[in-house]
Amino acid sequence: MSSEILNVKNLTVDFGGVRAVNNVSIQLEPGEFVGLIGPNGAGKTTIFNLITNAIKPTAGEINFKGKNILGKSPDRICQLGISRTFQNIRLFPQMTAYENVELGFHSAPQYSLAEAFIRTPRARRIEVDTRKKAMELLEMVNLKEHSHARASSLPYGLQRRLEMARAMATNPELLLLDEPAAGMNDDECNDLIKLIREIHTTMHYTMIMIEHHMNVVMDLCRDSRIYVLNLGSMLAVGTPTEIQSNPDVIRAYLGEPKND
Amino acid sequence: MELFIQQLVSGISIGAIYSLLAVGYALVYSVYNFTNWAFDGFMAFGAFMAFTGITSLFMPFWLAALFSIILTVILSVGTEKLAYSPLRARKAPRLFMMISAMGVNLATVNIINLIYGGVFRKFPIDTLQPIFIKGVSIGRMDLMAGGISFGVLALLWVFLYRTKWGLGIRASSIDIMTASLMGINNNAVAIVVFAVTGVLSSVAGVFYGIKYAVFPMMGIVTIKAMIASIVGGLGSLPAAILGSMILGILETMVSGYISSTYRDLFSFLFLIIILLFFPNGLMGKSSGEKL
Repeated sequence: MSSEILNVKNLTVDFGGVRAVNNVSIQLEPGEFVGLIGPNGAGKTTIFNLITNAIKPTAGEINFKGKNILGKSPDRICQLGISRTFQNIRLFPQMTAYENVELGFHSAPQYSLAEAFIRTPRARRIEVDTRKKAMELLEMVNLKEHSHARASSLPYGLQRRLEMARAMATNPELLLLDEPAAGMNDDECNDLIKLIREIHTTMHYTMIMIEHHMNVVMDLCRDSRIYVLNLGSMLAVGTPTEIQSNPDVIRAYLGEPKND
Repeated sequence: MELFIQQLVSGISIGAIYSLLAVGYALVYSVYNFTNWAFDGFMAFGAFMAFTGITSLFMPFWLAALFSIILTVILSVGTEKLAYSPLRARKAPRLFMMISAMGVNLATVNIINLIYGGVFRKFPIDTLQPIFIKGVSIGRMDLMAGGISFGVLALLWVFLYRTKWGLGIRASSIDIMTASLMGINNNAVAIVVFAVTGVLSSVAGVFYGIKYAVFPMMGIVTIKAMIASIVGGLGSLPAAILGSMILGILETMVSGYISSTYRDLFSFLFLIIILLFFPNGLMGKSSGEKL
């Protein structure tokens, strides 16, 4: 009996004639933090889209907590405990930071519409509770003082943090981070590493992170492993040291050495 | 001065009815990006169901109104399930959704025509005497229509801005795919949006029927609501209400001071002038705020 929380088996997806993901398998134990890297167009984000069922695979299996989740709607998958952030930020820009996070708690409305309208004590208590939890998450990502600012008015780095808080609000067991450090400078990257590590240790999520900043990946995955994807296929899996010295990986990133 | 106040009250009441319809258009447009032309038929259906409730089933007015709301909600949600949802699932272009909506509309209006005939009927409710305040006569029906319409809109506002479901709908109106990835059930959102639309069209149909007449083509007035939501700014609910109030008051003023013959001429002229100066409507931002 396997104990994997996520078991992706032989996943393949074709877009027209292009094989975007080819026979990819990923196994994760609960609480693991792994990196997913690869050159542009390797199919990393496509794998996230497949896991959250935003697109359907041509072949393969995705098991989450021992159950096949293929064909389930994205909202159902979210409720089962998979959440994600996006490479190109996809917050609800006209809503406040607080509302963005509050929405994440929506997946489990524990009171009825009638209760909401007549504002029963129970409905109000749940609202107060949601508010408290949402503020805690905003505090965790250092956005508490911006809770009533419109998401679109926040600086880029804060928007990324807000996306993380929103994803955490859905109470996930598996959190998928899609390039959380994109567009950040070294200082911001260091803060982000601290934040992600804090989220991982306090929330005990299983996490997969797609990232191009190698220092971020190498630092966060130092005790675990990194998956390397190239042209849709899994090129290598290993510890940061193994990956850094893997000739296939170097070739994929830097090209063939010149023969002269 | 008396005439002005009378026309103003009447204009606010007709503006409130337009608001219900315009908000219905705006709600569907903001979430699904298509114009729900079937709304026209739903409104007539709502009016006829209340009419039938009173004349054939001998219901009191309030019960007939409730009866009409329930049946119109069923029609609206049923249309979503049978005509729109399968198209969305197959990622049909939104033009197809509009054509599908036109089909539903034609079918609804013609079935009503077949059953009831095309004659104009008076809505079976006792005409209430107007109230006189300092020589100004104010129709009680106008007050009731305005009051209830605003009440419905206020409830909708509370629903959209003060409940979790409303938050989910607002999120869906911004980005339906991301909302679903954050756990919002798209099917549930669709049912709620079209149920709300059903309520709005039924209430508007009943009041419009009381104010003018009940006839199969009565839904043609939804074109005014369409104008109102465009004048306000398409896809935004407050803008839809603003546009409706302006249009309602403009129309009654034209009827009162110029001639009711020119009423519609002024409405359409007004639309053209507004769009010349505000291509996105008075409150419209090109792609910004929706709900």
